[in-house]
Amino acid sequence: KSPEFNASYSMGRLHIEHMGGERVFSCANCDCPLTNRQQLISTRFTGATGRAFLFNRVVNLDTSELQDRVMLTGRHMVRDVSCRKCKTKLGWVYEFATEESQQYKEGKIILERALINESEGFPDPVKD
Amino acid sequence: LLELMENGSGCLNGSGAADSAEKAQQQQQCPAVQLSERNCEAVRVIGQYLRELGLARSAEALVLEAGCPLESGAAAQFRSSVLLGDWDGAEASLASLRRALWRESSWSEIAFRLAEQRYLELLESGAHIAALCVLRGKLTPLQFSPDRLHRLSGLIMCSGPEELRQLSGWSGAAGGTRQALLDSVEQFFPPSVMLPPKRLSVLLDQAVRAQVSRCRHHNTSLSPDQLTLLADHSCQAAASVPSVCSQVLDAHQDEVHVCQFSPNGRFLATGGRDCVAIVWLVEAAANPPGAPRVRHHLTLRIGEERGGVAWLAWSPDSRLLLACAAEEATEVIVWEAETGDCIKKLKHRDEDSLTTAAWLPDSNHFVVGGNRGHFYLCSVDVGFEKAWDFIRVVALATRREDDGGTAVLAADTFARIRRYRFDTMQDETLFREDGPVMSMSISQDETLLAVCVASAGVHLWDLRLRVCRRRLHGLTHGAYLLHASIGGPNQDFVASGSHDARVCVWHRGCQAGDGAQQHLLPDKLSGHGGLVSCVSWNPRHHGMLASASDDCTVRIWLPASLAAAALAASADGTGPGGAGFSSNGCCSSTVSKHQPPPLL
Repeated sequence: KSPEFNASYSMGRLHIEHMGGERVFSCANCDCPLTNRQQLISTRFTGATGRAFLFNRVVNLDTSELQDRVMLTGRHMVRDVSCRKCKTKLGWVYEFATEESQQYKEGKIILERALINESEGFPDPVKD
Repeated sequence: LLELMENGSGCLNGSGAADSAEKAQQQQQCPAVQLSERNCEAVRVIGQYLRELGLARSAEALVLEAGCPLESGAAAQFRSSVLLGDWDGAEASLASLRRALWRESSWSEIAFRLAEQRYLELLESGAHIAALCVLRGKLTPLQFSPDRLHRLSGLIMCSGPEELRQLSGWSGAAGGTRQALLDSVEQFFPPSVMLPPKRLSVLLDQAVRAQVSRCRHHNTSLSPDQLTLLADHSCQAAASVPSVCSQVLDAHQDEVHVCQFSPNGRFLATGGRDCVAIVWLVEAAANPPGAPRVRHHLTLRIGEERGGVAWLAWSPDSRLLLACAAEEATEVIVWEAETGDCIKKLKHRDEDSLTTAAWLPDSNHFVVGGNRGHFYLCSVDVGFEKAWDFIRVVALATRREDDGGTAVLAADTFARIRRYRFDTMQDETLFREDGPVMSMSISQDETLLAVCVASAGVHLWDLRLRVCRRRLHGLTHGAYLLHASIGGPNQDFVASGSHDARVCVWHRGCQAGDGAQQHLLPDKLSGHGGLVSCVSWNPRHHGMLASASDDCTVRIWLPASLAAAALAASADGTGPGGAGFSSNGCCSSTVSKHQPPPLL
């Protein structure tokens, strides 16, 4: 159960955010909270390990340098994302889509299903 | 001046005998320099100041040489008439000034005051008949303030001047009342006719107050009229603001993440990734008095599998120390600080994550919480007492309330700062931050809350008004948790860690020159070799600041004046490290374990 992370990368205590939500997605390796079901836009994406989900907003991620990638849906500029706590690569974020029909993905994040866990959270507080 | 007197140009403003026309003629012959309007105003103001000081002849000479009369002719006439007690003349001058009033309606008030002074003086000198004439002929027709009229007519019964003065609260013709009358009348006329009273004094006071508001380290108890005019006021930083590192504490084996002084200022607790909490004693050196030094007292372990000490909290009576772990934080430990005895190991459930805590004022109850949604009220006697469900706690503080109960302030992952009463189970949102909250710290008098917001700096909230008083910028942002601390005798200073290995210190009271609050820049203290995560002010030795860093050390910072004394007195190995303000820390015991990874 104890999380595995590379100790030489830890300096200070990382600021870990939490988005709340009734169904919480977290990193499968270290259980760092990432996002929730409310942020899920689509389940019909494919990554290196198979199924992947498109999310609106995800926290606690580190991003890589900008990469030019040609995918099934066209040419995109993306950055790889990894878990801020354990540095495991989890997916990518779309920064720019060359085709107009794909522009809805800009700013959204793909997380590969095999690399994340889904767990129970609790209801968000009522907006007051 | 003697020359002028010999020439017979008796242009003394105060002498009622001088003829206005002759005076005007003399003044036209005298001016040697042509003055702009602004300079003329300055001369008038200076002339008034000299006259108020009693230097009447200097004032006259000034007016003569500059050619700027202090006030209009009629006003000068009025002034001299009043001062000499020539009431008819005063009335005549006043009539000619009537056009110049700000508001016509104030005319009756001025006439009333003039007649009132005349009446009281007549009564004082025993001329009751004449006084009665004034009462009937001058005061009553004005129909101003029947109450005062009634009181004045009652005074005619007084047996003597003593009783008159006592009953009316009027200090007599010789008691400066004529000047007081002039001062009170001045406000009804525009400055071109009569100068507002004490104008230069008012301007000087305003200037000094503006300097005080710009003073970056202001901490003196002197009032503005006691400060010197000869140089712009600025408090010496050396006496109050920590700037020199007087000690480097290197007993920790790994990054230090927390440091906290106890409320009585006698202990310092530090903890970090090496899973130990160290208690240090603060000793104020006897000779010279007031140079505090820190000495190792106890090392307390929390267990290896815990990921390090995440938080340390002192009980309000400074007797007990509570530690929370960073990973696997299922248990909190309470020790007695003096002896090191473990008083309590509190564990509620295996899946708990309790990474932050705060004590309640009775030094028995405390609250703990974490971002997995566990928020408990516990006590040293009983253990777990109550849970508040579904709150992901980021930081905790407690505050006494008016009805005697204690409110728990909790920041949560939705950036809300809320108030919880565990006794009545009431809760309320106080305010909402506009970015994710990293940590929170309450001032000792419980009026201010310093909230560290990721990528936004430190926000100071007033807990009574529930508004953000200051947004403090200047610290370097990054991915790691930072803590701030409010200190100083009047909660004037805020310090925080920073990602650039420096300690930031702000004086929150001062404003930038144009009053803008946003651009308050901190003083930055260099010396650490790694990220500074936590700082703590000593509540008793107000200039003493501790900082905990990833370079495995804790540094003690003192104001320059105290630090010089502390350095001289140091005998043991924990000698002074580098300097403060101007970089360079050549500290022999600094260990920088690894290069920090690139922060994205």
